[in-house]
Amino acid sequence: MLDYEKIKVDFPLLTKQINNKNIIYFDSACMSLKPRQVVEAMNEYYLEFPACAGRSSHKLGNIVTKKIRESRQIVAKFINANENEIIFTRNTTEAINLLANSLYLEKGDLVLTTDKEHNSNLVLWQILVKNKGIRHNIIRSDDDGNFDFEKYKELVKDAKLVSMVHTSNLDGTTIPAKEIIKLAHENNALVFLDMAQTIPHKKIDVKDLDVDFVAFSGHKMLGPTGTGVFYGKYDLLKKLKPFLVGGDTVEYSTYVDHKMLEVPEKFEAGLQDYAGIIGLGQAVKYIEIMGFNNICEQELKLNQYITQEILKNPRIKIIGPNDPNMRSGIINFYIDKVDMHQVALMLDEMSNIMIRSGQHCVHSWYNDKKIKNSARISLYFYNTIKEAEELIKNLNKIIQIL
Amino acid sequence: MICIIALVVFSIMGIFSLTYRNLAKEAFDCVFRRITFRPCNTGFNEKIKSQLVAKLLNKSVFAARIFNKYFEVFSWAFLILMVWSTFYTVRGGYNYYLYGSCNGLNQVGFCALDPGGNNNKVTEISNGQCGLVEKKEENVTLDNVDLSSFPTKNVNSKDTIVLIGCYECDYTRKAYLDIQKLVKEKKTNYIFAHYPAKEDTNYLSEVGYCVYKEYGERFWEFNDYLFTVDKTEIYQSSYVNTILNKYNFDVEKINNCINNPLTKEAVNNQLNQLIKTHLYGTPTVFINGKAFVGPKPYRVYKSILNKFIIF
Repeated sequence: MLDYEKIKVDFPLLTKQINNKNIIYFDSACMSLKPRQVVEAMNEYYLEFPACAGRSSHKLGNIVTKKIRESRQIVAKFINANENEIIFTRNTTEAINLLANSLYLEKGDLVLTTDKEHNSNLVLWQILVKNKGIRHNIIRSDDDGNFDFEKYKELVKDAKLVSMVHTSNLDGTTIPAKEIIKLAHENNALVFLDMAQTIPHKKIDVKDLDVDFVAFSGHKMLGPTGTGVFYGKYDLLKKLKPFLVGGDTVEYSTYVDHKMLEVPEKFEAGLQDYAGIIGLGQAVKYIEIMGFNNICEQELKLNQYITQEILKNPRIKIIGPNDPNMRSGIINFYIDKVDMHQVALMLDEMSNIMIRSGQHCVHSWYNDKKIKNSARISLYFYNTIKEAEELIKNLNKIIQIL
Repeated sequence: MICIIALVVFSIMGIFSLTYRNLAKEAFDCVFRRITFRPCNTGFNEKIKSQLVAKLLNKSVFAARIFNKYFEVFSWAFLILMVWSTFYTVRGGYNYYLYGSCNGLNQVGFCALDPGGNNNKVTEISNGQCGLVEKKEENVTLDNVDLSSFPTKNVNSKDTIVLIGCYECDYTRKAYLDIQKLVKEKKTNYIFAHYPAKEDTNYLSEVGYCVYKEYGERFWEFNDYLFTVDKTEIYQSSYVNTILNKYNFDVEKINNCINNPLTKEAVNNQLNQLIKTHLYGTPTVFINGKAFVGPKPYRVYKSILNKFIIF
């Protein structure tokens, strides 16, 4: 059971007011709020030991090295990975770019994606199609928005890499990862999953899934901005060529040669965001204290209420299935011939209710469906039913004039 | 269209607040895109529209619905109103600078820059002598008016200033100082005509006539004194001898002149000439034939004589 009095203390923003009204934050799919513990851990780095990790052997350097290692261990344990399988990146996008540029993809190799990919898992493949001559195929969802397994079965036979969003930021649906991975491996294809929208909400066990590569962002899971994680099976990571090279990626160099360090160091070029990585470790700890059961329960309760209320208005269409059980913490909706930016802006203006509007970096899907934009409510455990009621009250008010 | 209105409004508000300055920048970006034939896709219009509709929605659902539905129409209407009001504001400012009144030369309507209407106040002529022609600024003229018998100086100048005023009137006294300054600075031809608007100082017309007739240029010292001395003193005709003595005029000679029937006839003729100007109050100043009724700011008088309005 979540203790909201404690949560309010941990998230000071929830008690902050603008124009004498509390902030109601429903945009966690874009950026989650940060608990005090995360901010304090980062501040501690800057105030107490702002030194380099892995390079300097003085006292402060040793503290940072230890703290970074701790964060790596925390994150590894969090997804049931090994410590040396965790590579810190700036975000999910950078992690996918690392994979795309490190994997030995050659002309003719096929990469499969879904039709709901964030631009970060779409554009780079399109570029590789042009630059390297790889092939890129999209598994389109069926009419209900569900993953088309039959189509996948057919296409995966020829695939080198299956690169898919695990939980979509578009509609909150989650693909059947285990089956997808199993089938891919049976066909000698590697599998990468974009778990930016999964990790903050569900317990993930990479070993159980047997997934080859995973990426997620710190800023969507209570962590600092500019932090992300790229997971890969150790043996596969060893085979990848480094994407960014430079400081702290080599064991030594001469004027004509160098020797790369082992995984994960060889992928973490340059000085890292130590404060961010330490903060990310704290964020993981905080999520574990909250407990995924509690998180899921609260999100579902809110999603059920909002969905039920929203669907009372026949003009509103929810993107994805109407069943809130299938949509994680996301309710993405639109109204024909209405600019949903206006809905979002008015909610903000009227009651400090912050939701996101637009195409949510999934432009390809909107263009294909010829939908101008949508308004997305994305929930997290710190949201309350009272906030959801306020949202519905104001939303109904707005819709009646549009 | 809302971005144009927003640009103007936020630019003005931005003088006082950084928040509005940033909004003004956004509005400018939007306007710039429009004038360079690109769509304004910065979301600025939507932002402003949403904020306005949201504020209205908190007050009235009906008003918010109408405003939202006809937002473009309202935007155009506000734009037209803004252009219209801007035009009148600029014109008002221009008029105020040039004529001392937002409404134009000698117009007495409300002017925000001269809320008391001080630049148009006159001492009305109450004896009805001017009633033959409607009291309108455009009727006030020097056409067919013979001013040759009035005190004159700097006769060779190409510019001419005529001041018609009365010694006891506050508004004339106010304008008098500016006119003296202008005449001194620009060396214009200057004609002074005394019009006793309140009749208390009728006698001073004859005194002035005689001083000018007998002493020529020295009249101006006497004239300056009458306009600057406490006006209660000049109400008393007995006091005039003191004044004449003060300036070493021959009192007897002046009094003889005053008592001469020809003087009374000449002063009457002068008055008749002034009536032909259709003036309706003092001071009335003519600068190169253009009439200024009421005490205008100095710059107004000067701008008529300037080559390029301000210099």
